[in-house]
Amino acid sequence: MVSLELVASQLTTGLVIGARLFLVAVGLSLIFGVMDVLNFAHGALFMVGSYTAIAVTDATGSFLLAIGAGILLVGVVGVIIEAGFIRRVYDRGHLDQLLMTFAFVLIITDAVRLIFGSDQKTMASPDLFNFSVPLGVASIPGYRAFIILMSLVVLGGIFAVLKTTGIGRLVRATSSDRDMAALLGVNVPRLYTGVFFVGAALAGFGGALSAPLTSVTTSIGDRAVINAFVIAVIGGLGSFGGAFVGAMLVGVLGAVGSIWIDGAQDVVPFLAMILVLVLKPEGLFGGLEGS
Amino acid sequence: MTVLELEDVNAYYGNSHVLFDLSMRLEQNEVVTLLGRNGAGKTTTLRTITGTVPRREGRIEYLGEDISDRSVDAISKMGIKMVVEDRRVFPTLTVVENLQLARDLSADPRPVEEMFDIFPVLDDLRQNRGRNLSGGEQQMLAVARALIQDPDLLLLDEPTEGLAPVIVQDLREVLGDVVERDVTVLMTEQNVDFALDLGERAYIIDRGANVWEGSIPELRQRDDLLDEYLSVGAQEAD
Repeated sequence: MVSLELVASQLTTGLVIGARLFLVAVGLSLIFGVMDVLNFAHGALFMVGSYTAIAVTDATGSFLLAIGAGILLVGVVGVIIEAGFIRRVYDRGHLDQLLMTFAFVLIITDAVRLIFGSDQKTMASPDLFNFSVPLGVASIPGYRAFIILMSLVVLGGIFAVLKTTGIGRLVRATSSDRDMAALLGVNVPRLYTGVFFVGAALAGFGGALSAPLTSVTTSIGDRAVINAFVIAVIGGLGSFGGAFVGAMLVGVLGAVGSIWIDGAQDVVPFLAMILVLVLKPEGLFGGLEGS
Repeated sequence: MTVLELEDVNAYYGNSHVLFDLSMRLEQNEVVTLLGRNGAGKTTTLRTITGTVPRREGRIEYLGEDISDRSVDAISKMGIKMVVEDRRVFPTLTVVENLQLARDLSADPRPVEEMFDIFPVLDDLRQNRGRNLSGGEQQMLAVARALIQDPDLLLLDEPTEGLAPVIVQDLREVLGDVVERDVTVLMTEQNVDFALDLGERAYIIDRGANVWEGSIPELRQRDDLLDEYLSVGAQEAD
């Protein structure tokens, strides 16, 4: 007989997994939704965020600086990749984009290995989060609750910017018709660079936040990008709400399902993706929010 | 004052040569119609002026400045605005958002509310998304979106295409008011009545090259041109 406490505990674990999955997928979804670019290097950028956070924490002891550095550095790397290379293959279709961004997976992975070595790295969560949040019969450790909170902040922030600001209007308009946007005066290449910066910075943010929850190696990006694609496909490529719902669905079903089926957390995402592709190929919520 | 001058412009779609030594000149506050059959190169001419189709040879000057190699957004920022043939209002932005977006992109925009005065039909549709508007409403919004940016040169590409006659009449009235303002207009139009009614001067192009230029009253007397290049008789054009 499965106890209620175990189910509740797995449920909260699932929410945390879902929040982490969302933080990985959201930047990928943003870049695809606005620019129609499939960025296979997203996982590598996530990994750079983790390593940056660890290095900065080791050097300064500041968690806040670590997160900030993860966001900024990865954002800048993203700008270099977009402005220097991806911009040249916008009109060549997804295969060329995938091949080019895959090249960056290899380049970034080797560069990180060169700088940090092949050993796994770890980072403790800040003392600030040494508490638990009671949730009925279960509880969530403070840092994991923080991750859930951050995923909600990112989701709400993106919705707020897209729906209520001039920049949001610009992004939504350009994502639906970039040629018309240019005719009205939008500098589309500059806007794309900005969007790629934000998408990459979100990968860095997710990577930096995830560093205290895992052993960091250069391979974490591979898993991250696969998860990101799975979540983005389930939610509908370009949809943040869809990515959030998809991530939470996969996280919770996998964690709770593992009570009865060993390894459910590994199978559920792909099973869900296959079901979505067969039954609703555009995803649960297709397209950029408000677009 | 000359607002726009094209001098021996040649443009290509890929390797396909589409404009041949095209020349034209627009003076300030003129309303010039660009006439010709389907595929004659009218839309391509407008797209070449906006930079959407790059010209390879020749020169395009706007207010005395060479804009031949400028980017589309840079040309737009100089004051050349285009209402495209298929309207292309942003489908998921509301009517107000479409206008706000255009306003925010202009250095010296006109107020959003003024657009609702000019186009009262849009006033009741403020929160409707572009994709939910009828063809006529989308055309009104497309024109309003260009006007709110207070253009010096307005390019109208087939503004009446696909519209019901009653909407064409509404649009004729609105554009009649627009052309009274301080704006130069270059318009392509298949509806010859509409084009001759609004225009002061015309260019006829065929297969990407100039074949005639002159005033609208002159053109009204040229049945041969109307027959040969526009497939209408003079009685229809009167």
